[in-house]
Amino acid sequence: MAEKRFSLSIQTVKALSKRDLYSTLRSWGIYVVAFLSFIASSFILKNYLDSIQADDILISADPLNYPLFISVIIISFYLAILSAISISREKDQGTLEVLFYGPVSSLTYILGKYIKDILTYLVMVVFFLVYFWGVSLLTNLGFSYGLLKTILISIFSVSCIVSFGLFISSLTGKMRNSIIWLVGILALFLAVQVGQTILLGMPEENMSPVLTYLGDTLSVVSQGINWISPFSYLTRGIDSVYLENTLLYGLNILYSLAYSAILLLLSIFILKRKGVKG
Amino acid sequence: MRKLTIFLTVTIGWIFCLAALSLAQAPILREQLVYGLNVFNGKGYGGGFTPYTEDTIYLIADKDNTISANITLVYFWPITGKYVAGFQALNEEVQGTLEILQGGKVIKALEKEDNSLYYPEGYWGESAIFYQGEEAHAYFEKFTQAIEEYYKQISEFYTAQTEYQKNIDEFLNEIKERRDKGEEFTVEEIEKSIPREPKQPTPPILYVTPPKKDYIINLPLGRYKIRIRAEDGTIVQDSEKELVTFASRRTGGTGYEIIPGNRWTRREACDDPSWLIYAAGKNTLYFSPFIQDEYNELYYNKLLDPQNPGREEKWRWVHIQAIKDVTLLFLKGKETLQRIVRVPYYVEQIPGPELGYEIVEFNPEEMFDKQATFEGYKLDLAPTLEKASYEINLEKREGEFFQGGRREVRLVKKENTQSLYIFSIFPLLVGAVVFVTRRRKLGS
Repeated sequence: MAEKRFSLSIQTVKALSKRDLYSTLRSWGIYVVAFLSFIASSFILKNYLDSIQADDILISADPLNYPLFISVIIISFYLAILSAISISREKDQGTLEVLFYGPVSSLTYILGKYIKDILTYLVMVVFFLVYFWGVSLLTNLGFSYGLLKTILISIFSVSCIVSFGLFISSLTGKMRNSIIWLVGILALFLAVQVGQTILLGMPEENMSPVLTYLGDTLSVVSQGINWISPFSYLTRGIDSVYLENTLLYGLNILYSLAYSAILLLLSIFILKRKGVKG
Repeated sequence: MRKLTIFLTVTIGWIFCLAALSLAQAPILREQLVYGLNVFNGKGYGGGFTPYTEDTIYLIADKDNTISANITLVYFWPITGKYVAGFQALNEEVQGTLEILQGGKVIKALEKEDNSLYYPEGYWGESAIFYQGEEAHAYFEKFTQAIEEYYKQISEFYTAQTEYQKNIDEFLNEIKERRDKGEEFTVEEIEKSIPREPKQPTPPILYVTPPKKDYIINLPLGRYKIRIRAEDGTIVQDSEKELVTFASRRTGGTGYEIIPGNRWTRREACDDPSWLIYAAGKNTLYFSPFIQDEYNELYYNKLLDPQNPGREEKWRWVHIQAIKDVTLLFLKGKETLQRIVRVPYYVEQIPGPELGYEIVEFNPEEMFDKQATFEGYKLDLAPTLEKASYEINLEKREGEFFQGGRREVRLVKKENTQSLYIFSIFPLLVGAVVFVTRRRKLGS
């Protein structure tokens, strides 16, 4: 009986994720977002090439890593918002209630959404490989083993961002609230992280006292949100690639999986508690 | 909301006013107990002091370091934003035993010991060796003997120089007289009989500091507390400090300092083995390789000066020693394109609208009144070089490479910049294909 129920659950997850995946891939949104992310990457890369032309030298571990980071952020942002909209809309329109009369449960529903997002991101990974390989051929900026490792770890980091999106949308009722909360929190996390990265990159002697205080404050805030912000997992992953530390790399994958699992379980629990009517 | 805006504006304005006021104030001298430091920094020894405001002293683990406690006058110097000690005005040595505590227990009680630093390459050389006890005295004795010997040689030189001057005058007079008498000489004859000028003795290169008494700290990695117990058994006020000993995260790496020929004052560092050198392919690069260790930025900055800021999240490579006896190879695959040796260079200032300088090979014979600006391995990247991937490496002996010296050099294809934007369109093309295929399927 339990085996039959388990098999049914798997079938449901498959059906839900397949339906949503096809819907995502057949819409223009994902392609437009991929295009925009590559335009942003191309802009950064053009600046790199201009600076090499001007200074005749650029020393970098992997100049493609930062454009990749930006592309991953844009796409994961989109995926998180897409999931949040999808859940809130289905709640608003009563589709979720109808689904839950069938074999769909909180577990299968959340898992279905999560798997759809991960599969969509895997399609994006193929796009990344094509784009960055092409960029490397066009410019001679290195398509390195490190970049491949970064792309691999980005899958786990995106899993964190997607789970975070599902968690926020399970907490909120209306679609508008979901989007505002999700974008607000993710933007805040991102601002802290980007701000700290910029300040860390500045030479100490060029920093004014105000910037030093700002840097210290961001450092404290960053430590506070270190394990909460899904973007930290991406940064830590990139750091582990940069340090060529396999243990750290493996640990980061484990941490990302644990983070995703905790948020997914919380989302399932909240959806169960709050019900499907929003 | 309006109230909040006014409050924030007033607060920020007040903070800026305070900052402006502080610039106009005369420094206030405060009597403080400070720790004077002479610490090992990975390549040599450097000094500094820890004022009252700094509660932690940072030292490299398992290395000899000296610290001393003094009462002095301390004042804030707004230009550098740091506290300065007026040791000339007041420098009172604090007597007692330095206690080192870990986990609340005293693990060591140190008395002051004699110590000195031995600089084999001279006082301005970067390397220094620490000696304590009898050895410190022995090395200082060796140094004073070398100095005395030098002074003795100098005295002998001056005597010889006077003698030489006298002899040369006599010789010239004699030659003149003989010439006047009609005698003729060949150059060889004159060179053979001319008095030889005495050679000036060279001073000893080594330098040894006079032995002095300090607390010598050598501790394994960890966090400790220190304090001074006075002779009457009490703890000296303000003598308690945290002590952190740290080690390098990575050691024995090879780093490069790169001087681009078109802007020699802005040097680039290529320290990490994973870093690649991207170039446009129309420049000359001068490479200076170093042996290096990697330290935590905060700890290392605080080691150099306890008042330095730093970030615990960041790491920095520290160049320990220049690598000299190697050949730099410029390779493409397995083919060696250039074998480059280390040469001294001189930066000559030239008038003109272009760079304003020229980097020329230093010739000690022609430039006897000048000093080389830098030494390095010159790599010419000609515009004719194929825009591809190259490698540099350091060869110790034929076929034997210096560990960690490999770096990739890539010449970028700048001409394809605009194609990047065109290439970004491909997801839209994939989307269009999906869209059209679906429309066709639905249509059929």
